Amino acid sequence: MMRRILRPVVVAAGDRTPSSGAAVLAPPAPIRVALRPRRSLRSRRARLLLHCAVSLIMVVWIVPTIGLLVSSFRPSSELSRSGWWTALAPPFHFTMSNYENVLSQQGMGRAFVNSLFIAIPATVIPLFVAAFAAYAFSWMEFPGRDLLFVVVVGLLVVPLQTTLIPILKIFADWGLTGKFLAVWLAHTGYGLPFAVYLLRNFIGSLPRSVFESAFIDGASHVTAFFRLAVPMSVPAFAALAIFQFLFVWNDLLVALIYIGLSNSQNLPMTAAIANLVNSLGGGWYLLSAAAFLSMALPLVVFFALQRYFVRGIVGGAVKG
Amino acid sequence: MAVVLSRRRGSRGLRRGWLVGVAATGVLIAACGSGGGGSSGGTPTGQASGGASGGSSGGENLKGQTVTVIGTWGGDEEKAFLQMVKPWEDQTGAKVQYTGTRDINTVLTTGVASGVLPDLAGLPGPGQMAEYVAAGRLKPLDDVLDIAKYKQETAPALVKLGEVNGKTYGVFIKAAIKGLIWYNPHQHDYSSAPPKTWDELMSQAKANQGNAKAIWCLGLESGAASGWPGTDWIEDLVLRTAGPDVYTQWYEGKIKWTDPRIKKAFQIYMNDVVAHTYGGGKTAVATNFGNAGDPLFANPPGCEFLHQASFITGFSQFKTHQAGTDYNFFPFPDIDPQFAGAVEGAGDLFGMFHDTPAAKSLMRYLVTAKAQDIWVKIGGALSANKNATDYPDEISKRSAEILHNAKIFVFDASDLMPTAMNDAFWKAMVALTNGSQSLDQALSSLDKVQQDAYQSS
Repeated sequence: MMRRILRPVVVAAGDRTPSSGAAVLAPPAPIRVALRPRRSLRSRRARLLLHCAVSLIMVVWIVPTIGLLVSSFRPSSELSRSGWWTALAPPFHFTMSNYENVLSQQGMGRAFVNSLFIAIPATVIPLFVAAFAAYAFSWMEFPGRDLLFVVVVGLLVVPLQTTLIPILKIFADWGLTGKFLAVWLAHTGYGLPFAVYLLRNFIGSLPRSVFESAFIDGASHVTAFFRLAVPMSVPAFAALAIFQFLFVWNDLLVALIYIGLSNSQNLPMTAAIANLVNSLGGGWYLLSAAAFLSMALPLVVFFALQRYFVRGIVGGAVKG
Repeated sequence: MAVVLSRRRGSRGLRRGWLVGVAATGVLIAACGSGGGGSSGGTPTGQASGGASGGSSGGENLKGQTVTVIGTWGGDEEKAFLQMVKPWEDQTGAKVQYTGTRDINTVLTTGVASGVLPDLAGLPGPGQMAEYVAAGRLKPLDDVLDIAKYKQETAPALVKLGEVNGKTYGVFIKAAIKGLIWYNPHQHDYSSAPPKTWDELMSQAKANQGNAKAIWCLGLESGAASGWPGTDWIEDLVLRTAGPDVYTQWYEGKIKWTDPRIKKAFQIYMNDVVAHTYGGGKTAVATNFGNAGDPLFANPPGCEFLHQASFITGFSQFKTHQAGTDYNFFPFPDIDPQFAGAVEGAGDLFGMFHDTPAAKSLMRYLVTAKAQDIWVKIGGALSANKNATDYPDEISKRSAEILHNAKIFVFDASDLMPTAMNDAFWKAMVALTNGSQSLDQALSSLDKVQQDAYQSS
């Protein structure tokens, strides 16, 4: 799906396990003992290579961000004259004026609060709905279950842009345009297919025996959901929460259409940031500072939840 | 037996499913309930638009009413606009709620299709304005404005661009003059005897080059719209070599790009401009248009001239230098004498979607010279209104005079082309300037785009 850019998750693999072919050709035991120090040396070398590769990827990944960070502290006159790396050598010309300028913009504080008002419910609601749906798709049997699941997941291929006009019409009939509820509902709808897909894979891969024994003991589906499925799926919830939160936090289009057309007071931070630049592109030097300010909160969310993140994604992908 | 089992399981599943469904709906309703309360609490002014007609009528007391406005203006422009409407707010007691977005085309097209629209909006261009009128969303302004006064105060070409089927739907509350040639008087002062023809310009440029590295400064980079400064070049050249009639037929898609009259403009651009550009074509493509003029102020100077619209004074080093002493301009010289005095301009159209009393009142206010003077005084903009004269410096005053006294005035051609054509034009300018396409290649591919682009509109 277009709107979700899945970053590759680099998982550090452990030592290479010997293949079965190597086992057949394995030398007799005494020699193996003699070889052990050399072998561990080789594995250490492999590990070193791996670390180098991972560090290299990390550097490549992080350099643009560092460039952005350095640029955000440079005065605008320098920015257009030389590359950001030149700022790292003396004479140092750094300034806080870009940040001051962004922070002093009228309405920036309110936009930040609006962003929170939008992003938190728009993360929690789809999480709830998707968890119920994922449980139903995994452990409840009803006619047309698989078909329904395929249809829901199939909605992943629908670009959200095609839905703007019909949904805006509905919201207008319901009198929701310009209200937070409109964006919550919209983001819930846009987020659900992926959320259901991810959680179904995770919840569906939980051990069958756990649920069966619970049902034998007379547990209802509600009990099984709240007592078993939810506690065991916390990593998947965390991973999904990060995705959904980042998507909503960074969204400009949905907010602009459902809120911006009728009530600019409720617009999120993305809109305020985009509007730092005038119609001819003047004022672009403020964007790097603004980007860092808007990144701050998602970074906190990510670091707070990151230990679940890899587990959740890998759990969803490998099992099920 | 298997059938019985599955039926039993099925019914149990269904019952439980129903239960879970109820639980889910409950959560959703709870969320919605709190949501509704939260949002209505947070937006005391959200409801005012649209239903505002119940207030006072006729008089100018519009207390408590709100006018929602969407425009492309952001940053300093947004501040200038809000400053401009401040006296109106103080006087009437109404409020302006402004949303700025550069995706105005997307937002308004979606709004027009679904019926959710702001009261007033900056329109992307005359083409879109006609579409919105055809969709029945834009309201005519003939009864709202003092139309006779408006027509008398505004350049006729701009008045005409705001009309659809003889009615006025759009007004220009901000304008710009394109095709000014900027220079640094410390290098050579052209103010007493500016070049009158293109040949004169080129020969004087070569004679006065001194230690300047090149004749022209050029910068085409502008994000997704990269290439537009190049289209301005071609437009200026077409207008002065082939005249306004060919110019009009060209943007209307009635003349091919490979037509010798159009091709000639491209040839002048390639031979006289790109070949004499500071840093060469590849540098020009990578240079932001706003910074393109910086080499003018360097020592030794990088170039002698920058071709750019009147709004360049709000950018980069123009901002930090003194108008008149550190930089100055002369109008684009004539090429074919029969089209002498032709000028190209651009501007921001403004229209009305809801005719609430407050929206009408604001619209009336915005076109007045008094309101326009506020923005004009802040700088970086010209007024379409002749009587707005509060320009901060000699340079803007002179550009405004050119705007109002032009014998032949045309609007930016690329802005009048269909979107697909405009995009292709921008891209072609980038490809031509950095040398990745030959002139014949570029023109014939523009011809291909032209065949399709005009059919849908």
